[in-house]
Amino acid sequence: MSIEISGVTKRFGDFVALEDVNVSLPTGQLTALLGPSGGGKSTLLRIIAGLETPDTGTVAIEGVDATRLPPRKRNVGFVFQHYAVFKHMTVAKNVAFGLEIRKRPKVEVAERVDELLRLVHLSQFAHRLPSQLSGGQRQRMALARALAVEPTVLLLDEPFGALDAKVRKELREWLRHLHDEVPVTTVFVTHDQEEAMEVADEIVVINEGRVEQVGSPDELYDLPANDFVMSFLGEVTTLGGTQVRPHDVDVATAPRAAGAIEGTIARMLRIGFEVRLTVLTVAGEEVSVVLTRTHARGLGLEEGATVWLTPAPGATVVPAMRPLAV
Amino acid sequence: MVEPSSLVRWGLRLLALGYVFFLVAWPVALVVQHTFADGLTTLTETLTDPSVQYALTLTLQVAFWAVLINLVFGVTISLLLVRHEFPGKRVLSALIDVPLSVSPVVVGLALLLVYNGRTGWFGPSLEAAGWQVIFDVPGMVMATAFVALPLVIREVVPVLTEIGDDQEQAARSLGASGRQTFLRITLPSIKWAVVYGVVLSLARSLGEFGAVKIVSGNLTDRTQTATLVVEQKYQNFEQSTAYATSFVLAAVSVLCIVVVSLLRPKEASA
Ligand SMILES: Nc1ncnc2c1ncn2[C@@H]1O[C@H](COP(=O)(O)OP(=O)(O)O)[C@@H](O)[C@H]1O
Ligand SMILES: [Mg+2]
Repeated sequence: MSIEISGVTKRFGDFVALEDVNVSLPTGQLTALLGPSGGGKSTLLRIIAGLETPDTGTVAIEGVDATRLPPRKRNVGFVFQHYAVFKHMTVAKNVAFGLEIRKRPKVEVAERVDELLRLVHLSQFAHRLPSQLSGGQRQRMALARALAVEPTVLLLDEPFGALDAKVRKELREWLRHLHDEVPVTTVFVTHDQEEAMEVADEIVVINEGRVEQVGSPDELYDLPANDFVMSFLGEVTTLGGTQVRPHDVDVATAPRAAGAIEGTIARMLRIGFEVRLTVLTVAGEEVSVVLTRTHARGLGLEEGATVWLTPAPGATVVPAMRPLAV
Repeated sequence: MVEPSSLVRWGLRLLALGYVFFLVAWPVALVVQHTFADGLTTLTETLTDPSVQYALTLTLQVAFWAVLINLVFGVTISLLLVRHEFPGKRVLSALIDVPLSVSPVVVGLALLLVYNGRTGWFGPSLEAAGWQVIFDVPGMVMATAFVALPLVIREVVPVLTEIGDDQEQAARSLGASGRQTFLRITLPSIKWAVVYGVVLSLARSLGEFGAVKIVSGNLTDRTQTATLVVEQKYQNFEQSTAYATSFVLAAVSVLCIVVVSLLRPKEASA
């Protein structure tokens, strides 16, 4: 295990930002810390980097207890949400910073900077100032700067959060490729479940200072530990007191299956190939159902019709215990 | 037909111009006129007068040390105020403005009370250790440093606040020590604010009068600075020497500010 976090608690005044967090992050993988805003993801990342100290608990990096080490002794690369570029230095100087601090020979520094700028496609901008770059280019420069010191661990705090949707998507794929090329242990923070599912090998779901679940994207999606994880990873609806995804609800026009729940179609919305139903059950639940247009037509559904609902065989269901937090 | 609103605007402009003209421009111009009333003679004579020479050198020395002290402490206190949380921070911040609001004469008297060699609170022990503060250069440097204290801090603090600590954190995560972070990241970012603060401090230090007059004892050829010479010459009916010395003082200050405004890059205010 590359990073071992045990019993970490962090308070800001009376506010508990992290509460008894225990996670192990495997070597060489791309891990996402996923959760809603204010959940404590950045705080955990900054504790790993040494930019924040935990009140209790320990952090070990590659088997070395790093809890009391200053950031510069941890050999981590950190990429900040708002780039934190060195404004008065050229792109090349920014990337060279960590190497110059380590007093590497000039020739070696120049070679490494060249190589990294090629890796992040910024070679032709080497002598520009950061103010002359776009947001995406600045973030790639920040990434090259963090990679220059060959960190044991690369930490990224919402690396694409401040970019527009298109650039975001491009950089996301590019990060995945980069990680396959340079397989350094990487942890990145995001509040976007799609981004986490698409890029990460492993996801740690964090909410209100606690770890809700750790697992691969598939595990999380198919076997959510609780209704919070389930609802955070995709749309859910409540059917007979359990949570189920709207596209996992089977609709029948006659009470065939045992335990099917009876209701009437209150609303019916056609969006492209999809049909979205709102079904009012006899118990007073409002259930959302999604099915294909063809399927809906085949069943002859219309507003006001009576239907019987069951979770589809093999569907992920979770008991609804807490009110939805999303 | 002129619109009333632009009439008002013209009126206001005239008022502002007139105000600055009668308050600053005309009096300063008169000093220049008196200095050069008979060509360069007065200026040359003044600059070869040994008392004036001595006073100008002493002024430069005192100003140099006062500015240096304010530079080091000013930058340090600015960093403390912006980057650290500690009890008493607001009190410190308020105290820094005291020199702006207290008359320099009061500053001089206060220093006298603490450091004078006979009855001072701290002075006798210092004097026993071979340090004379009052009626000597150390006291004059202290008085000048006190009076110019807020100038560097008030220039640097807003810039430090504006740039934030992101870049410093990034430097630390890349392996820089506190010292390296300061020298390579913080200092270049606040460079122009520091230069501006230093120039303002220098100008203020060259012109300090009241506090220095009290702590120096105004001893001719020993503790008499340029501003004190101006006063003495004027009272001794050597007006032209007084004007010429004033001219030199004003010229140095104006020159400093002009040079910095020319050097300072337009966009690099941060
Ligand atoms: N330096 C700080 N001082 C006070 N509160 C903080 C500080 N840093 C973070 N917090 C609080 O801790 C909580 C978690 O913050 P953060 O870790 O940034 O969440 P996330 O990155 O998941 O959005 C937030 O409510 C935030 O306001
Ligand atoms: Mg955050």
